[in-house]
Amino acid sequence: MLFRVARSHKGKEITHYDLYKVDARKGMTVLDALFQIQDYMDESLAFRYSCRGAVCGSCAMLADKVPILACRTQVSSLKEVSSKLKPFTALTDTPLGWNAETEILLEPLPNLPILKDLVIDMTRFYDALESLKLWAEPAKGEESRIQSPAERKKIERYVDCIMCALCFGSCPVNAEKEEYLGPAALTKAWRFYEDSRVQDPKTYLESANVPAGSPLCDLIYNCVKVCPKGVAPGGAIRKMKEL
Amino acid sequence: MILEVLKTNHSHDVLVVGAGLSGLRVAIELTDQYDVAVLTKVHPLRSHSVAAQGGINASLNPEDSWESHAFDTVKGSDYLADQDVVEVMTKEASRAVIENEQWGTAFSRTEDGRIAQRPFGGAAYPRTCYAADKTGHNLLHTTFEQALRKGVNFYQEWFVTSLVKSEKRVCGVTAFEIASGEIHGFTAKAVVLATGGFGRVYGHSTNALINTGDGAAMALRAGVPLKDMEFVQFHPTTLVPSSILITEGARGEGGYLVNKEYKRFMDAYASKDMELAPRDIVARAIQTEINEGRGFDDYYVHLDLRHLGKTKILERLPGIREISMFFADVDPIEEPIPVRPGQHYSMGGIHCDKDGVTPLSGLFAVGETACMSVHGANRLGGNSLLETLVFGRLVGQKVGVHVSGLGDVDECIVDDAAFAMRVKIQSILLRESGESHAEIKEELGRIMDNEVGVFRDQTTLESALKAIRFLKERYENIALPRCDTKFNYSLIRALELENLLCLAEVITMTALMRRESRGAHWRLDYGTRDDENFLKHSLVTLVDDYLKTEYIDVDLGQFEVMERKY
Repeated sequence: MLFRVARSHKGKEITHYDLYKVDARKGMTVLDALFQIQDYMDESLAFRYSCRGAVCGSCAMLADKVPILACRTQVSSLKEVSSKLKPFTALTDTPLGWNAETEILLEPLPNLPILKDLVIDMTRFYDALESLKLWAEPAKGEESRIQSPAERKKIERYVDCIMCALCFGSCPVNAEKEEYLGPAALTKAWRFYEDSRVQDPKTYLESANVPAGSPLCDLIYNCVKVCPKGVAPGGAIRKMKEL
Repeated sequence: MILEVLKTNHSHDVLVVGAGLSGLRVAIELTDQYDVAVLTKVHPLRSHSVAAQGGINASLNPEDSWESHAFDTVKGSDYLADQDVVEVMTKEASRAVIENEQWGTAFSRTEDGRIAQRPFGGAAYPRTCYAADKTGHNLLHTTFEQALRKGVNFYQEWFVTSLVKSEKRVCGVTAFEIASGEIHGFTAKAVVLATGGFGRVYGHSTNALINTGDGAAMALRAGVPLKDMEFVQFHPTTLVPSSILITEGARGEGGYLVNKEYKRFMDAYASKDMELAPRDIVARAIQTEINEGRGFDDYYVHLDLRHLGKTKILERLPGIREISMFFADVDPIEEPIPVRPGQHYSMGGIHCDKDGVTPLSGLFAVGETACMSVHGANRLGGNSLLETLVFGRLVGQKVGVHVSGLGDVDECIVDDAAFAMRVKIQSILLRESGESHAEIKEELGRIMDNEVGVFRDQTTLESALKAIRFLKERYENIALPRCDTKFNYSLIRALELENLLCLAEVITMTALMRRESRGAHWRLDYGTRDDENFLKHSLVTLVDDYLKTEYIDVDLGQFEVMERKY
């Protein structure tokens, strides 16, 4: 099986693509294929990884122009996927020479600067967690608080977010507007706003509604389609905008 | 370039290595009062704590007690845990859980809104608090949020390459900046190792790929003893073929283990506790079924959840369903999950006391890389998340006391160590041809899986030890001909392999030495527990270029040593 992999030695932009012939095995994931390349063909190839079980959020990238977690995506399933995403340049521009029928194309996740090969600079993505102060003020007292199962249910899908940035990398607004805080951070703000235990929920809403926040979302819902955890960021942002 | 002499020195009061739950909790404790920096080879949210599923133990209910939790832990440990440390952990458990709830963790709830608790293996009371089957994820994200709130200082994607010490104390570390490929020196009055376990010594492991025991290996090289390294936990239920964890919570919720004759077989091994016997016992039961020809395709059994029903599976075990579907094409609502035992947890680690204090002044250890010892020969499910949060806080406090009023360390020693590390790495990078680290790693995984696994005996252990030593020799000649300086993950993985090899040797040596069966260490040739000779911790210390081995006493306390039955 052939893999055409984006390369960027110095970062910033993809300079070329390298073609590798991988020995495909049953059940092989995209991450397995990348390790086979790094281990036995080209140790200079750079990509992030950690858990290999779709819980740590390290390995977001584009495979055949679809934003995926490399560890969770079986190589055999790729050609069957149609993403139905609203397109933007990084999802539509194909490299010269790519044969979409026979080769799997791997590229860095769009909308964040490339550092090397498939490794992107997540600083902007992480900084939003701090600039929006996405944490709880610790509750006081000796006891844990009461929260009903129904109240917990309201935030469950949002706390499932693994911060993999697939939503950020698939969002046409993030593609155009560097200042946009992106779906994951806004959804996390909504998670705190909706948490029955939070003392002053409005502050989270106020910070999410800054000009670079929820007003920039065009409700395109690419984020909902690519989220590997069913978090549905677009739904949270829509509710936020409706308030 | 690596050999250029750059101004690459950093200085802090305290360095914490690792940003999982243990490391973050230490940093949170210290950050208000001291200049603390956390060095981590991955972004904190990518740490392996995120993968813990089933829960965290605490005797929250008035009908339960810390003493009962302590007894279960000590019995589960096959009496090898130090009872003074167990007492601290079980007494502090409720505090740790409540603290994290107050920080925002979305624990699953009872109908009346209290933190829900589920039954777990080896526990007399359902005391495992959980957030669906994503407890580690929830605790880690919450704890990281609090670290951001506190303004904890991180060096992210820095790989620590060595501990630096003077005659008397720790002076800092050398570390590799993954983005640039440069080696920097860090001086500190105290270093806290919170680097997690070393599951990747094995081929079949539930652990993240990053769990390579870097802290334990560095400590060993710095002359700090490793303790109880032969005690490796094999989780009974890991997914076939990827070895991803299938939580004990699946059995806690009522899942059955079934062999190829479609029979529940646990009654033959633990007639009372059945599927909820402790992990060592269930892992051996499954391995025995497989070895005796009652496994599917001769290498796995079924974990059947179908009778729990769709609603319960979706509500309590959504992560397990997702993992089964994506990684094994199985929907547990419709079909049983294929599982087999796989390496899961390292009970052994850096020798330290209940405050994380090691024999090297200024060096502390906490979490899975440490061996205090709170898990002894076998850890109970739900006690490892607990260990990180309880001891993260307490070790942090002890570190604070240690560094108060301590003078600065000698920068020159750290400079020299950084220079030496640059030379070492350059010599690997300059080698044009040689051994492949990936091949050595694969071979190591195979040896450990087959010869230092659930069942052990002298012949296979001896053969493993010989083979590991041969791999160590081959490692001396590894080459990375096409490597690069920036984001050179190949080099990182080669350096990790060096750590894995030295830990594999220690694990195998101590497994050979311990001629008894206790907890997770099962010798086919010495099938019973031998308290007279082996109710002791093993210690391995690197002295010059040989490994010194010895045994030290266990802290026995209120619980009398008894036969262990479930």
